[in-house]
Amino acid sequence: MENGLAAVGIGPFLSVGAILLVLGVFGIFLNRKNIIVMMMSIELILLSANLNLVAFSAAHGELSGQVFTLFSLTVAAAEAAIGLAIVTVYFRNRGSIQVEDVTLMKG
Amino acid sequence: MTVPFNWSLALPEIVLSVCGLLILVIGVFQRKNASGLLCTGLAVAAFVATAVLVLGAPSGVGYRGTFVSDDFARFAKLLALTGAALSVILSLDYNGRQKVDRFEFPVLILFSTVGTMLMASSENLMTLYVGLELQSLAIYILCAFARDEVTSSEAGLKYFVLGSLASGLLLYGISLVYGFAGTMEYGGLRAALSDNAPVPAGLVIGIVFVFVGLAFKLSAAPFHMWTPDVYQGAPTSVTAFMAGAPKVAAFALLLRIMAGPFGHLAPQWQMLVELVAICTMILGALAAIPQTNIKRLMAYSSIGHMGYAMIGVAVGTEAGVRGTLVYLATYLFMTVGVFACIMAMRRNGRPLDRISDLSGLSRTHPLLALTMGIFMFSMAGVPPFSGFFGKLMVFAAAVQSGLWTLAVIGVVTSMIGLYYYWRVVKVMYFDAPEPAFDRGARPVGAVAGAMGLVTALFLLVLGPVTGAAQAAAAVLFR
Amino acid sequence: MLSLGLLFGTAVFAPLLGAIIAGLFGRVIGDAASRIVTIALMVLASVCAVAALATGLDSGSQAIAVPVSTWVQAGGFHASWQLRFDTLSASMVTMVTVISTLIHLYSVGYMAHEKTPVSRFFAYLSLFSFAMLMLVSSDNLIQLFFGWEGVGLASYLLIGYWFDRPSANAAAVKAFVVNRVADLFFMVGIALVFLQFGTVAYDNIFALVPAHASSVYHLFGSDLRAYEVIGVLLFIGAAGKSAQLFLHTWLPDAMEGPTPVSALIHAATMVTAGVFLMARMSPLLEYAPVAKDVVLFIGATTCFFAATVGLVQPDIKRTIAYSTCSQLGYMFMAAGCGVYQAAMFHLTTHACFKALLFLSAGSVIHALHGEQDMFRMGGLWRKLPVTYAAVWAGALALGGIPPFAGWWSKDAIIDGAFVAGGLGLYGWVLGVAVAFLTALYSWRMLFLVFHGRPRVPELADHAHESPFVMTLPLVILGIAAVVAGWLLYPYYVGERQAAYWNGAIFNGAENHVLANLDQLPALITLVPTIAAFLGLGAAVVFYVLKPELPGRLAASMRPLYLFLLNKWYFDELYDLIFVRPYRALARVLWHGADEGIVDGSATGLARLTAGGSAQIVRIQTGSIAVYAFTMLIGLLALCSVFLFFG
Repeated sequence: MENGLAAVGIGPFLSVGAILLVLGVFGIFLNRKNIIVMMMSIELILLSANLNLVAFSAAHGELSGQVFTLFSLTVAAAEAAIGLAIVTVYFRNRGSIQVEDVTLMKG
Repeated sequence: MTVPFNWSLALPEIVLSVCGLLILVIGVFQRKNASGLLCTGLAVAAFVATAVLVLGAPSGVGYRGTFVSDDFARFAKLLALTGAALSVILSLDYNGRQKVDRFEFPVLILFSTVGTMLMASSENLMTLYVGLELQSLAIYILCAFARDEVTSSEAGLKYFVLGSLASGLLLYGISLVYGFAGTMEYGGLRAALSDNAPVPAGLVIGIVFVFVGLAFKLSAAPFHMWTPDVYQGAPTSVTAFMAGAPKVAAFALLLRIMAGPFGHLAPQWQMLVELVAICTMILGALAAIPQTNIKRLMAYSSIGHMGYAMIGVAVGTEAGVRGTLVYLATYLFMTVGVFACIMAMRRNGRPLDRISDLSGLSRTHPLLALTMGIFMFSMAGVPPFSGFFGKLMVFAAAVQSGLWTLAVIGVVTSMIGLYYYWRVVKVMYFDAPEPAFDRGARPVGAVAGAMGLVTALFLLVLGPVTGAAQAAAAVLFR
Repeated sequence: MLSLGLLFGTAVFAPLLGAIIAGLFGRVIGDAASRIVTIALMVLASVCAVAALATGLDSGSQAIAVPVSTWVQAGGFHASWQLRFDTLSASMVTMVTVISTLIHLYSVGYMAHEKTPVSRFFAYLSLFSFAMLMLVSSDNLIQLFFGWEGVGLASYLLIGYWFDRPSANAAAVKAFVVNRVADLFFMVGIALVFLQFGTVAYDNIFALVPAHASSVYHLFGSDLRAYEVIGVLLFIGAAGKSAQLFLHTWLPDAMEGPTPVSALIHAATMVTAGVFLMARMSPLLEYAPVAKDVVLFIGATTCFFAATVGLVQPDIKRTIAYSTCSQLGYMFMAAGCGVYQAAMFHLTTHACFKALLFLSAGSVIHALHGEQDMFRMGGLWRKLPVTYAAVWAGALALGGIPPFAGWWSKDAIIDGAFVAGGLGLYGWVLGVAVAFLTALYSWRMLFLVFHGRPRVPELADHAHESPFVMTLPLVILGIAAVVAGWLLYPYYVGERQAAYWNGAIFNGAENHVLANLDQLPALITLVPTIAAFLGLGAAVVFYVLKPELPGRLAASMRPLYLFLLNKWYFDELYDLIFVRPYRALARVLWHGADEGIVDGSATGLARLTAGGSAQIVRIQTGSIAVYAFTMLIGLLALCSVFLFFG
C-alpha cells in the first residue's frame, strides 16, 4: 500500500507547518485585543512544530520525532494550564485581559 | 545500543526531583498558616546534597544518548545550584514580609533548577527542550507569585506570552534541525554537519530559530524586551533567582550546542553571535542610563553582562569559553549580592526600588552602602573586583582571536556603563540622606556581605575558578 | 675664608628667613612685627654683604665657592648648590642688599595707608631680594635660572600686589608672559651650553670656552658658530628681563605696582639681571663677536627709543620707567662694546640714582594722594623740600652733569663705544643724542613737578612732605647719587679695576677698549657732557622760560608727537602681529577645535548616548505585541544574515 507521505512528499507538510507558524506569530503581534487569542496563537506555533516533527519522523522512518512530539504535547498542556492560571490571576488584579492594558511597566 | 544503562549519571537530578516532590507533599500536609521556613530549609538542604552529588557524579553519556555528565555540565550545575540556594535563602525573609511565603516557592525554584541542570547536561535536542521548558514553566509561575499584586501578575503574563513564543520558535527550529539533519543527538548532528556538503537552508533557519530561542532566555538584544518589565514586576526574590541560575544554564546550553553539534558551522554562526553580542552590549549600556528604578537598572545591567559574556561565545575558542564561564561565575555572585542589597531596601514595611531611595545610604547604612558600592564598581569592571577579571578574560580572548571590534565596543560600553553604576554610588555617598531603612534580616545581610567579600576578594579564588573553567571548557573542544 | 663664606651666606639667606617669617606667620605676629623682622634681617644682610665685600677686597678679590649642598644629581648632570663669591657677585650682592634695605624702610611709610595687612608686601619684598641674591651669587647656570625665575615670580606678585585693580593684574600677567617668552630662549641657551660643555658650572664652562671656540651648529644648510648662537640666546633671555627693545613692553605697565616695587625691582635690581648675565658670561661672549654686535645694536637702539618715548610721557612713573629702559640700553651697549666693567659701573650708579628718583616720585605721589600725571602737578618745591632736593640730585646724576654719578659711568660707556669703533660708532652717535634727551626729560620732569604755578591747586594745597622714614632713604640715596661716581670710578673702570675685578670679568686678548679709554681726545670725551648741558638748557627754555613752547611744538609736529606718545606703536604692533592672531587662533582652537572637535566628540558622544538611550527606552513601550514584533524582526534579520552572508 502506498504510504501517504510518499504519495505527496514532505513539501506540503512543511508548508502547512510554516503557514501555521506564521499565523501563530502574526496572531501574537497583530492581535491587539485579547490575551486568550495570544495563547491560542502560541498553541498554533507549537502545533506547527509538532506537525513538522511528525512529518520528518515519518520521512526519516525514525521514531524520535514522534517521541519528541509526545513530550512537547505534554509541555504544551502544562504551558496552557500555567498560562491560563496567570491570565486568571491577572484578570483578578486588573479586571481586564485587554492586550493594551498590559503596559503598566515600560521604559 | 551497547551503552549500558547507567542511571547513576543523572543521580543529582533524580535526587533533586524526588526532594522537590517530597517537599511538595510535606508542604501540602503542613498547617495552613505555617511559615515557609521548613520547606525553605529542606530545599536548601536538597540543594546542598545535590551539589555534593554533582561533585561526585561520574562522567559519561547515558539514557540512550540523551544525557551527558562531564566537567562542563558540573561547572554549570554547581553555579546554578549555588545561585538557587542563595536566592532561596534570600527569599525567606522577603516573602515573609511580602506575605507571599507559601511553600510552593522553594519547590518551584527547585524544579526550575532541575530544568537548569537538565539543560546543562543535555546531549539531545529533546533533553534541551524539556529542560528548558521545565525551567521556564516554573519561572512563569514564580513571576506571578505575588498573586495580589498587579505588577507581579503582569510580569508573569508578559514573560509567559513572550517566553512561550520563544520556546515555540525554539521548538520549530528543533523540528527543522531534526528534519534536515535526520537526528536529534548532538553526536549525530555533529557527524551530519561535518561532511563538506553544502548546508541546506532549512537547517540554517533551524539553527537560527534555536539560537533565537536561547537568546531570548539570555535576554540578548533584540530578544531582551521582556527583561526590564519582568525584573521590575516580579517579586525581588524571584528576580534575584531568575537573573542568576537560568542565565548560567542558558549560556551552558548555548556554549554546548554551538561548540558541539554546530561546531563545524562555527564561522557562520559566530557572526550571528557577534552581531547579537554587539547589540546587547550597546543596548545594555545605553538603555540603563535614564532608569530611575533600581530593579530596571539591574535588568539592563544584566542585559549588558550577557553581551559581554557572549563575547566568549562569539570567539568560539577554548579561551573564549573559559572567559565566559569565569564571567558567569563572577556575574552570579554580583547579581545575587545586588539583589540582596535591593531586598534590604524597605521602609515602613514597604519595599523600595527607586534609585533615589538610596540617597545618603552611606550615612544611614554605611555597610550596606559599602557592599552595594563594591557590586557597582565590580559590575562596571573596576579592578580589583571580580567583574574586572571576567571582562578582562573575555576581552583578552576576543583580542587573541582578532575580534577587535568586539573588544573595542566592549570597552566603550563598559565606560558608558561606569557612568550609571557610578551614579548609584554617587546617590549613596553624596546625596542628602533619606530616612533609614527598616531593620534588615540577618540572612539577607549575611548573603550580601558574603557576596561582597567574594566580589571584593575574587583575586584570591581566581586561580581555582579559572582552573575549573579551563577544565570545563576543555571538555567542549575534546 | 670660613668667615667670608659665612658673611656672604648670611647676606644671601637672611632675606629668605625674613620672607618666610613674614609670609607664613605674618598674620600671627602682626604687621609691625613683620616689618621689624624683615627690615632687621635686611639690615643684617647689608652689613654682612658690605663686610664680605671688604674682606674679599682685602684678600685680593679671589673667587671663592661657598658650598650649600648638592642640588641636582641626575646621571651625568650635576649641579651643586653653592654660592660663588667674587667681586662681581659681591658688588651686586652689596648693591642689592643696601638698596633693598632702604626700600624696605621706605615702604613702611609708603604703605602706611594700606587697608589690608602689609606683612604680605614685606614678605614679597624679602622674597624678591632673596631670589635676586640667589641669581647674582649663583655658581652655575641652573641656580642662576632658579633665581631668574624667582625674581620673575616675585615681580609678578608685586606688580599685581593690588590684586583688586584689573590693570595691575593685566600688567602682572603681561610682565610674566613676556618674560616667559624670553625665558624660553634662555632655557634653550642653557641647554646648548650644557650640550656644548657637559656642565653648567661657571668655572668649568669658562675653563672649556677656548677649547670649543671653533664648534659650529649646522642649521638650515648654514654653519652657525656655537658661541654666537648661545650668546644670542642668552642675550634674548637677558633682554626679556632687562626690558630691551622688542621685549620691553612689560616694563612701563609694571608701574602699576606700588612705587617702592618699581624702585627696587623695575629700576635698581631685577631689570639689571640681564646686564649682570652679560658680565657674568663675558668669558663666553668675548668669543662671540657677532652676538656682541647684536647686544650692542639692540642696546643702543633701545637706549634711543626709550629716551624719545620718555620725553613725552605725562605720567611721572612711566617717564622714569622709560628712562630706566634707556639707561639699561646704555649698559647693554657697554657690554656689546666689551666694556663690561663700564656696564657694571653704570648699573651700580644707576641703581642709586634711579632708586632715588623712583622713591622721590613715590614721595610726590604719596603727597598728592595717588596723582601720577605731571601735568596736574607743579610748584611743589616749597611743599616738599626734601623730595625736591632729592630729585635735583637724581636729575643731576641721571642727566650726566659732572661731577655727579651718572656723568662718570655714562661717559665711560659713550667713550667706550667710540673706542670700540665699527658698530660702536652707531652706539656713540645714539649715546650722545640720548645724553641730550636724558638731560631734557630729567629736567622736564623736575620743572613740571616742582616749578611753575600749581596746575591743580586743590591737589597742591593738601600736599605735605613725607614722613622721616621715607625721607631718610631719599637723603642716603641722594648722597650716594652725588658721590658714587667719583668714589667708585677707580675701582670699576679706572686704574684699579684690574685688581678690583681680578678676573671676575673677562676681556678677550684683542679687547683693549678699556685700556684705551684714557687715550681718547679730550674733545670727544667732552661731547656727551656738552650734550647734557644742552639738554638742561633746552629744558629750562621749554618748561621754565617759555612753557607754551612744548605745546606748540607738539601741535606743529603732531605725527611725531603721537608716534612718541604711543611708544612707537609697539603695543599696537604686537597687538596686531601677536596678540590678535594669537587670540584669533585661540578662538579658532577654542570654538573650532576644542568645542567643535574635542568637546564635540565628547558632548557629541554623550548626546549620541543620551539620544540613543532615549530612543531605546521609547521602544520599550510595555506592549507585548511590540516586544513580540521586535523579536520577529530580530529573527528575520538573523536568518537573512545567516543565509546571505554565512
